[in-house]
Amino acid sequence: MKLSKLTLCLMASAFSITGAAARADTIKVGVIATFSGPNAIWGKQFREAIDVYVAQHGDEVAGHKVEFVYKDVGGPNADASKAAAQELLVREGVKYLAGFDFTPNAVAVAPLTKQAKVPAVIFNAATSSINKQSEFFLRTSFTLTQIAQPAAEWAAKNGSKKVVSAVSDYNPGIDAETAFSASFERNGGTVLEKIRMPLQTNDFAPFLQRIKSSGADTVFTFLPVGPATFAFTKAYNENGLRAAGISFLGGGETDETTLNALGDQAIGLVTAYHYSDVHDSPLNHSFVKKLQELHPGSRANMASIGAYDGVELIYRMIKAAGSDGAKAIEAAKGMEWESPRGPVKMDPVTRTVVQNVYLRRVEKDADGKLVNREFATVPNVPDLGFNP
Amino acid sequence: MTTPVLSSSPRRAATSLSVLLPSVCVLAGAALAFLMFPYDLSFLTRIVIMMIFVVSFDLILGQAGIATLGHAAMYGCGAYAAGLIALHLSPDPILGLAIGAVAGAVMAWISGLILLRTHGITLLMISIAMTMVLQEAASQARWLTGGADGLAGITVSPLLGLFEFDFVGQVAFIYSVSVLAGVLLLCQILISSPFGLALRGIEGSASRMRAIGTPVYRRKVTVYVIAGAIAGIAGALTAQVTGLVGIEVFNFSLSADVMVMLILGGAGRLYGALIGTLLFMVVHHLAASVDPFNWLFVIGFMLILVVFVLPKGLISLPTRVTQLLRRT
Amino acid sequence: MSLILSIVVDGVAYGMILFMISVGLSITMGLMRIINLAHGGFALLGGAAVHLLTTHLDVAFIPALLAAVLAVVLLSVLLERLLYRHIYGFNELGQVLATIGIVFIMIATVNLFLGSTILPLGVPASFTTSIDLGFRTLPFHRLVVIISGLFVLAGLWLLMEKTKFGIYLRAAVDNRVAAASLGINTPVVYLVTFAIGAGLAAVGGILGAELLPIEAYYPLRYMVLFLIVVSVGGLGSVSGSFVASIGLGILDTAGRYLLPGLGTIFFFVAIAVLLALRPNGLMGRAQ
Repeated sequence: MKLSKLTLCLMASAFSITGAAARADTIKVGVIATFSGPNAIWGKQFREAIDVYVAQHGDEVAGHKVEFVYKDVGGPNADASKAAAQELLVREGVKYLAGFDFTPNAVAVAPLTKQAKVPAVIFNAATSSINKQSEFFLRTSFTLTQIAQPAAEWAAKNGSKKVVSAVSDYNPGIDAETAFSASFERNGGTVLEKIRMPLQTNDFAPFLQRIKSSGADTVFTFLPVGPATFAFTKAYNENGLRAAGISFLGGGETDETTLNALGDQAIGLVTAYHYSDVHDSPLNHSFVKKLQELHPGSRANMASIGAYDGVELIYRMIKAAGSDGAKAIEAAKGMEWESPRGPVKMDPVTRTVVQNVYLRRVEKDADGKLVNREFATVPNVPDLGFNP
Repeated sequence: MTTPVLSSSPRRAATSLSVLLPSVCVLAGAALAFLMFPYDLSFLTRIVIMMIFVVSFDLILGQAGIATLGHAAMYGCGAYAAGLIALHLSPDPILGLAIGAVAGAVMAWISGLILLRTHGITLLMISIAMTMVLQEAASQARWLTGGADGLAGITVSPLLGLFEFDFVGQVAFIYSVSVLAGVLLLCQILISSPFGLALRGIEGSASRMRAIGTPVYRRKVTVYVIAGAIAGIAGALTAQVTGLVGIEVFNFSLSADVMVMLILGGAGRLYGALIGTLLFMVVHHLAASVDPFNWLFVIGFMLILVVFVLPKGLISLPTRVTQLLRRT
Repeated sequence: MSLILSIVVDGVAYGMILFMISVGLSITMGLMRIINLAHGGFALLGGAAVHLLTTHLDVAFIPALLAAVLAVVLLSVLLERLLYRHIYGFNELGQVLATIGIVFIMIATVNLFLGSTILPLGVPASFTTSIDLGFRTLPFHRLVVIISGLFVLAGLWLLMEKTKFGIYLRAAVDNRVAAASLGINTPVVYLVTFAIGAGLAAVGGILGAELLPIEAYYPLRYMVLFLIVVSVGGLGSVSGSFVASIGLGILDTAGRYLLPGLGTIFFFVAIAVLLALRPNGLMGRAQ
C-alpha cells in the first residue's frame, strides 16, 4: 500500500506545519461567506460586524489571541464551501468555523465539523434542519419558523381574520408558509390561499391583483432580500392593496440594507423579525455607533447581528474551552448573554438562539432615514420548527 | 465509413503515443501538484473536476463546433443521479460515476434531438431554456432533491473497497485525477478516430460533409451524447466529493463559465480546456482571496486581454510568440 | 373578463420594458452579427448615472434621465471606437469572451463606487401614484413606460423607413459587403446604430427600474431575458422585437395569473418549443 505510506508521511508533515502555524496562544477562526458576486453584501456585513466586535472587545480572550481568516465562496455554492472548510481546517488549522450565509454552504461542511470536532457558528442560514446534520452547528441568526409563528399569533390577536400567504417558491419561503399557516389556523384565523411565487419573478403585479381580489384582510409574505423584495413591496402599494386596507405582514423584506431603496412607499409596512438597527438599548446604540465609526455609510442588519453575536459566542467558547471543540459545544449549550438585539440564550436542544421576536413598522426617523421601529415584543422564542 | 487518412504502421505507433500524451501530462502535473500543494487538495480537486467538465464541452464546441449555453444540464443530471443512487441504492463511488454518465448521456440524447436541429443563437437560447426548466424542476421536486437546501447527506463507500475518502482530500484528488486521465484518453482516441475527423469536418463545413455522405445530424447527436456522459461524470464526482447537490448545478453562470474557460484556453484542442480551466480558477481563487469585492476587474481585463492578444486562446501563446519574434 | 384585461395590461407594461431594453440589442446583433453580452451593461450604467444624479447631486429626475442617456451614448461611442470596432471582426466565441469581459468591468465599476445593493433612482412621487382604469388601477409609471415604448417604436419605424440613414442601415443589415461597395459608409452606420442601441438600453433600464431594479449585477441577472426576447423576435427586426416583447410579457404574466406554481417552467418550455419550431424567431429572416 504505497498510498497509505505516502498518506502517513503527508499527514505527519501536515500536522507538524499546522502545529507550528497555530501556536498555543493563537486561535484561528475561519469565516466562510460570500464576499463576491451579487450576494457579496452578506460577507461585507459579516466582516464589518466582526470588526466592530473586535474593536470593542479586543482580540485576546483568556490569554489566546483570536485571528479571523476569511474565505469567499461567491454565493450558494456547496462545492466551494466544503473546499474552503477543508483548506481552513487542514492548512490554517482553524479551531472554529463561522459564517454560512446560505443553507447548502452550511450543510456541505457538516461531515467535516464532525470529523474534526470543530464548532461551526452559523451567522445566517435559516433552515431549521441544518442543525440536525451535525452536533457541532450553533446558530446565532434565526429560523423561519421562529419568526413566522409569532407573526401568525400576533396577526390573529390583532384583527387579521383572513390571510393570503404569498412566499417565494423555495425552501425558506415554504418553511415560512407552513409555520405561518399552521399557527394562524390554530389561532382561529383562515388562510384563504397559499401562493408560491417563482424565484424568477420580476413583475409581481399578477400575484398582488390576485391577493387583492381574494377578499383577504392581510397578506403574509417571505421573499429573498434584493430585487424581489423591492418589486414586491412596490407592487403592494401600486396595485392598491394598501389603499384597499389589506395589511402587509412580512419578515426580512424591510432589511436595513435595502430599506432606503424601497423609498417612502415602504412607510407603514409591518414585519416580524429579530433585529432592527434602531432597537432601543444602550448596547445596540454603541454597536451601531461603532459600526458607523469604522465603516461610514454602513447600516447594521440581521446579518450584522448574526455575526456580532456569533463572535460573542466564539469568544465565550474560547474562554470556556480554548481550542477543544467538543468541550466548547458543551459549554455553549445554555449560554445566555445580552445582545444588541435583546436577551439571547443558546438553546441546548436546537442549538439556535432563543430570542425576542419584534413586531416593527417602517417609519421615517428624525434625519429622514427609513427605519424599522419596534412596537411589540414576543419574548424568548425558541426555534419552534426543530423536531429532533 | 472508410478511414480518410491512409495509415502506415510507424505512423500508427506515433498516434498511439500522442493519444496517451494528454493523460500522461495530466498525471505528471497532478503528481507535482500533489507534492507541492498538499494543503490545497480540495481546491485542486475542484479544478480537476471542472477540467473534466470543460473537456466534455470541448468535444462539442471545439471538435464539432456546437456552441451551447446549457452544458450544466448534463452536469446537474449526473450530480443528482449519483447523489440519489448513493443515498438510496448503493454507496459505491464507481457505480455512482457510471450512473452519472448514463444520466448525462440520456439528458444529452433527449435534448440533443431537438437542439441539434438548430444552430446559432437559437441553439444557445434553447439550451439555456432547457437548463432553466431543469433547475426549476429540481427546485420544485423537494421530496426528491431537497429543493434549494440541496440534496444532503451523500456519502460514498471506500474507493474500490480499499481507500476511504479522507479528511484532507487525498483520495478524492487521486480519484478525480484518475478519472480525468481516463476521460482524456477516451477523448484522444475519439478525436483521432474517423469519427473525430468527421466531427472536425462538420465543424469546418457541415454542408460539404453532407455532400460527401456523412450523416451530419447523427454524428452531432452522437458526440453530444458522449460529451453529456462525460459532463455527467463530472457532476457525479462533484456530488461524491462534496456530499451535497444544490440546484446551483444547473446555474446559467456555470454553463457560461465553462464556455469562458474553454475559449480562454483555446477551443479545439484538449490542452486548451485544461489550461483555460486552470488559469481561470487559479486567477479567480487568488483574486477573490486578495480582494473578493473587486476581483471581477481582474477577470474582466484578463478576458479582454486574451481575446485581443491571443484570439485563439492561451494554447496559441507559443505560436504567437514565435510569430512576433520572427517579425522583429 | 377583467382577468383577461388584467393579464393584457400587466403583460403589455412588462413587455414594453423588455422591448425598450432589447430592441437595441436586436438591431446590433442583426446588423453587426455581434453577440453583445454587454448590452445590459448600458442599461445598468444609465440607471447608475441617474441614481448618482438624483440621490447624490439632487438633480431632478427628467434632466437626470436625459443627462444619463447622453452620457451612456457618449461612452458607447468611445467604446465602439476603442473596442467594438475590433470585436466585430472576431468569431462568435471571441465576441462572447470580449463582451463578457466588458460587462464584468462595467459591473465591477458600479460595484466599486456604489456597492452591490439596489440603487434607487429618485423617481418623482407622481410616478408611483395609481390611475383608475375602471376595472382596476394601474401605476402611473407603467403608463409612462407604455407610452414611451410606443414612442420608441414609432421613432425607430420612422428612422428605419423614412430616412436615408434607415435605408443605409437596412442595406447594411441585408448585405454588409454589397452596401459598402455601393458607397455606404458602413463604419459610420455601425457607430450610429451602436450608439442608438446603447442609448435605448439606458432609457429602458431607467424607465424599467421600477420593475427590474438597478443594481451592480443587473446585466448578468437579466441577460438571459434580453437574449430570449431578441432570439424570439428574430435578429435585427424592430417589429419582431416588439411582438416578441409584448408576447413574452403577456405569456409570463398569464403564467403568473393562471399557474403561479409552474409559471417559470411554463415560460421556458414555451420558449424552447417556439424556437424549435421557428429557429429564426417570429420575424427573423433565414440566415
